[in-house]
Amino acid sequence: MAAPPAGVGGNLILLLADIDEPGLFTREVYERRGGYESLRKALASTPEEVLAQLEASNLRGRGGAGFAMGKKVSFLPKGSMDKYLVCNADESEPGTFKDRELMQKNPHMLLEGIVIASYAAGAERAFIYIRGEYALQADVLDAALVEARAAGYVGADILGSGHTLSLIVHRGAGAYICGEETGLLDSLEGKRGNPRLKPPFPANQGLYQGPTLINNVETLATVPAIIRMGGEEYARLGVETSTGTKVVSVSGHVQRPGNYEVELGTSSREIIYGLAGGPPPEREVKCWFPGGSSSPVLTAAELDLPYDFDSMAKAGSMLGSGAIIVVDDSTPILDVALKVAKFYRHESCGKCTPCREGTNWTVEMLERVECGEATPMDLDIMASVQEHIIGNCLCVLGDAMAMPIGSMIAKFRTEFEQHIEQARARREAA
Amino acid sequence: MSPRGWDAPSDLEKPPAEIPDPATTPVPEQLRREIEAHMADYPDRHSATLPALAAAQLLHGWCSPEAIEQVACVMRVTPAYLESVASFYDMLETSPAGRHSIYVCTNISCSLRGADALFEATRAAAADGVGGDQINVRAFECLGACDIAPMASVDGVYVGPLGPEDVPRLLQDVRAGGTVLPHKQLARLRVADPRANSREFPEHPPLPGAGAGAPTSEQSRRPSAPGVGDRR
Amino acid sequence: MPRPQPKTITFSIDGREVHAPESSMLVDAAKHGDVEIPVFCYEPKLGQPVGACRMCLVEIEGIPKLQTGCSTPVRDGMVVYTQSERVKTAQRSVVEFLLINHPLDCPVCDKGGECPLQDITFGWGAGISRFIEPKRHFVKPLELSPTIAIDRERCILCYRCVRFSQEVAEDYQLVLLERGAHSYVATFDGHPYVAPFSGNIVELCPVGALTSRPYRFRARPWDIESAGSVCTLCPSQCNVALTVRDEQALRVLARENVEVDDGWLCDKGRFAYQSFHVDQRITEPLLRDGGVLRPVSWERALQSAAAGLARAGAATAAIVGGQSSNEEGLLLSRLLRERLGSPHLDSRRGGALPLELHRALGAPALQARTSDLEFAHAVLVLDTEPVNDSPIFDLRVRKGVRRHGCKLAVATPQVSSLDANAALSIRYAPGAGAAFASALAAALAGEGSHCEELARAAGAEPEDVRALAALLHGGQASDPAAGQASEREVVVLWGERLSSGPNAERGARALLGLAGTLRLAEIDGAGLLEVPSGTNGRGLREAGVLPNAGVGLSEPAGAAGRDTRGIAQGLADGQLSALYLLHGDPLGELPDRELWQRALAAAGTVVAHAAFLTESVREHADVVFPAEAYPEKEGTIVHPDGRLQRLRPAIARPGEVRAGWQVIGELALRLGLDLDVLSGPMASQQLFSAVPFYAGITLEEIGGRGLRWQERTAAAAFPGADAAALAEGEPPIAPPGPHTVEVGAYRSLWDAPEVLFSPALRFLHPGTSCDEAAALAGPERGAGLGALRS
Repeated sequence: MAAPPAGVGGNLILLLADIDEPGLFTREVYERRGGYESLRKALASTPEEVLAQLEASNLRGRGGAGFAMGKKVSFLPKGSMDKYLVCNADESEPGTFKDRELMQKNPHMLLEGIVIASYAAGAERAFIYIRGEYALQADVLDAALVEARAAGYVGADILGSGHTLSLIVHRGAGAYICGEETGLLDSLEGKRGNPRLKPPFPANQGLYQGPTLINNVETLATVPAIIRMGGEEYARLGVETSTGTKVVSVSGHVQRPGNYEVELGTSSREIIYGLAGGPPPEREVKCWFPGGSSSPVLTAAELDLPYDFDSMAKAGSMLGSGAIIVVDDSTPILDVALKVAKFYRHESCGKCTPCREGTNWTVEMLERVECGEATPMDLDIMASVQEHIIGNCLCVLGDAMAMPIGSMIAKFRTEFEQHIEQARARREAA
Repeated sequence: MSPRGWDAPSDLEKPPAEIPDPATTPVPEQLRREIEAHMADYPDRHSATLPALAAAQLLHGWCSPEAIEQVACVMRVTPAYLESVASFYDMLETSPAGRHSIYVCTNISCSLRGADALFEATRAAAADGVGGDQINVRAFECLGACDIAPMASVDGVYVGPLGPEDVPRLLQDVRAGGTVLPHKQLARLRVADPRANSREFPEHPPLPGAGAGAPTSEQSRRPSAPGVGDRR
Repeated sequence: MPRPQPKTITFSIDGREVHAPESSMLVDAAKHGDVEIPVFCYEPKLGQPVGACRMCLVEIEGIPKLQTGCSTPVRDGMVVYTQSERVKTAQRSVVEFLLINHPLDCPVCDKGGECPLQDITFGWGAGISRFIEPKRHFVKPLELSPTIAIDRERCILCYRCVRFSQEVAEDYQLVLLERGAHSYVATFDGHPYVAPFSGNIVELCPVGALTSRPYRFRARPWDIESAGSVCTLCPSQCNVALTVRDEQALRVLARENVEVDDGWLCDKGRFAYQSFHVDQRITEPLLRDGGVLRPVSWERALQSAAAGLARAGAATAAIVGGQSSNEEGLLLSRLLRERLGSPHLDSRRGGALPLELHRALGAPALQARTSDLEFAHAVLVLDTEPVNDSPIFDLRVRKGVRRHGCKLAVATPQVSSLDANAALSIRYAPGAGAAFASALAAALAGEGSHCEELARAAGAEPEDVRALAALLHGGQASDPAAGQASEREVVVLWGERLSSGPNAERGARALLGLAGTLRLAEIDGAGLLEVPSGTNGRGLREAGVLPNAGVGLSEPAGAAGRDTRGIAQGLADGQLSALYLLHGDPLGELPDRELWQRALAAAGTVVAHAAFLTESVREHADVVFPAEAYPEKEGTIVHPDGRLQRLRPAIARPGEVRAGWQVIGELALRLGLDLDVLSGPMASQQLFSAVPFYAGITLEEIGGRGLRWQERTAAAAFPGADAAALAEGEPPIAPPGPHTVEVGAYRSLWDAPEVLFSPALRFLHPGTSCDEAAALAGPERGAGLGALRS
């Protein structure tokens, strides 16, 4: 396997810097590399000043929705009520594994980010909601937390600043919907992870009905770098509306699957081909999910799009969690559609009608397509069902199936029709 | 086929399931202490539900009615509340399950690299061998390790990439109760981005809590990309 | 706590300007413009909207996505569309999604004809389905409990039933299991859903998934009529709508009255209608003949009763049970007082209370409304177990705690079902309610040492009493009086047993004392709310069914008579010789069973006006008049908070049953007294004229929702009392004896003849052994539920 060409994806590495350095997960090594200096710097200023830095960075949430992190912090009401910070470590969007690598190898960076963010938000209690499957990563975080508490980075009166933070690693138990912020809150409260109606938004009424700031692991792990560099300096990275660097998980039909840190705005082709090695020899990209399996698929013709929030949105898809899944031309699109639809059917919480029934119906229709019992008219019904799901659900899970399935039907209709024709011919022959 | 439970009536012989009476619900002391410790961690004791159920599952093998009643008794909630929560989450078993779990990821990225065949091979091999009922092989949704696709989580330890040829050794390791496929464990995997590390580092030392997943010296190199010819 | 007082705003819906209360949800606001937005999961009684069914999607100008009308508060100037193509498409698609796995078995479904899913499908659905996959099919119906059947095919997962179990009744027995399309409503491990309020889920279900087993296949909506009345089976006096077919009550539904029941019923109120139509019901006059009760004509029964009472004359006594109407009570008291010259009549279980105390405790300003339980800053549940004594109050108290952050304190001799919701729960010795209340009054007044001594006498910890005082004052335990907030609304929900027994007077004075310190009479939204031991306890007292008070709590014309206990003693001693039992069963209901056995055995004449052959009637009555069940009655009763409510005949009286007012009237005539009642309304009119503080009330004014007399100007005619002076009196506290222990005990909600004689409920009756219940109930009903009985 050939190494990627030099210079691809920009050369500034913030989050993955020396991530395989032995012992980085210990406080000692992390501190040796300048760890917790940002915390000291933040605590030396006022929460308002820290918030100003976060806002200046224009950092957009790395979990999927891409909402401006500083703005989210600023939405929390001021005053002395119980406020909460929740780190969303329920990384479960198919194709996404960036948070796993960050938590496992550099847990203190995340802890430092959480403490700084809690200071800016005025939160005194924080939770890291980590998916239950990430047992190793949760153990690493727990061990790091013990060290951080011992060093006075977490707990009462942190470094003499007067800021107090209690922090707990909370393990989930296997449910994709708990990555949705309000589903996560219900789950953290010990309930089924059903998403809540919004409004009220978590910033006003979140965990235990208190104002709550919820951010993704990567978002919070970026905070120390922002404080170190200064918000404005950070904002110079990337492109105007998508600042900074992003860890991109590339998987599927590429030769070097894994995490790559790129400046936002890097060409998608550079990431898929330059960094991840592209599809295996003799194969071509058939389609690719730019932001996890919830994002509408893009085709080979769209490989030169810059990889940033707005470019992906303009192309009718989304950056999502920054997980590129590449599908090459050896895989029937129907297989991809079925996998995706079945996943969302399995993960639908069942609370709202269009998602619960729509995902189920879509799978049943796709199965009819698969076994040759469908007609091209069923593709129209399927497309219309997706339209009826989109925008009508309680949370985004329904859309997360309907958008990619809709895009597949739109972009690969001919292939679906051919499959229907062939499957029916096979069935009739048999 | 009906989804589980849909055809079940209530048994009118039973009393209603209220919060269990401590006097008639014995709870193993260790479990009680663990649940109480979890409850103390949170402003609202209900938040301890998932850790408490996980602890009970570890003890009982699954969230059996008995296990649920014990948790309900300590947490002072109804068993129905816990059952409702337990049945929502994939990692909590609400029917009898083996003590060892093998979650084979069959989601998109892994399946593009042959996960469905891997799952079938694992399931068949586990069912065939001794103690098959103690090995709970499940097709699981994305486990967040698409960089080692196709992969599996074996009693919580991530291993991959796996091919059907790895299955016999995998099951052998599970049955022996030892370290599972040490050379394929995620814990020792290097980041893919070649620009990330500014210099060559020696291999990872064992990680805290990694347990069976501690890397060994000769396997600290990144595994090569799996073959891509094993798709249907 | 301030109740919401929304101002009116103007918004536009489908092009029309409509006025609606600000912040009401769009689905409610739309109704002000005669626009209906379809809903399934929305039910404000269940708490915050959940937005799950997505049926109510509407388009709002300025918001790109469709919004759920059930969760969007209306704002001034909002422009809403419910008929646009986008909205129609969304509505049609939600109906299509809901029907995907719905069996459409309407022709054999009990809900057919009164089914929101049917109505909405016709009104808003596309009329076609594109779903050609096989539908799911399951075994059905299945038993969910002895009273409820579940049909999981029909369920549309609207969450209403589980929200009720979890957020209203808070029994948390009914839940959703699994997730996504596999979700289903169930209980833990196949246990039945048996809880005091379980039947409400049948009424909440918007499809035919949850049906009443006693009602299944009994009628179609076009066969039935609905008749409104008021349930008299407990002091909650819930408003009900009886489903009637061919003069038979086939079902009882809630008839929502926010000031009474909030739209809920307990299972006793919901299912005990079966007892109206059972063979055990007394439907003809009976006369004891040769030791056996035999049917006789009305003429003979009335003559015999008249003769017996005439013989006894002033040695006649009457016990008036809580299910009696005001009119029955008034007429019977007139018969005794005006004709027989006997003042010996009582409607209270446990001992006379000086008239002054009745007046002071009943003072209009001191009375809390039912809804005050919900909005008070603090509620004290004192010497009552609401779920047994008056179940709907239990739900109301829970609601206040859950939704409005009301601080709840429970002070009872036994474990309470409200303990889990209480900020503070205190136990004292059975029967020591009066001592406890005195300790509390002392603590509230800052009399530390006095409190300590009294608390010990009550068997309670003085620190607990001080903590309770602090909670009620809103201050600190160290100095309860210090934190006294000026307008803190406190409601004391107290059981009649506190003013019963040997320490009755002391208990009443203590209540007045704490009411004074907490300024319950002055603060709007604060007050006392008594849970009487009989359904119409309040009304009967106001109608003068007390040994020491005339009608309207007036001074009695002559000397005071004997109270309930005194009557038993008098009969046993031979001082009294005749007893009239109006809806009463002393052996089953009253303390001192042994004394009552002697009393009844010694009585020369026992005339019973009863619906069932309870032990007292069966063994001791000489003449039995068949009594009406409540849906046969015409008259009025008074809710514990002073609301006069109308009983209206919903079904015909069976057999030879006659109206209670008529029977008493005819009996009086035979004794030479013309009570001047020729109709039910005439009896009511007589009541309104006789009670000064009811003056001017008419049946029309009471209407279907009732009327609190305290809110009318005539309330000024209520005889006053010097509460402050009365609170000063501290009669010595009698040490606990057997009688006081009895006063401390609660009777189970299910311990009633109406439960015993309703096949669907019999399994809950505490007096029925499991085997007996199973045998009585038939083979299909289980017996293991005996464990539930409390």
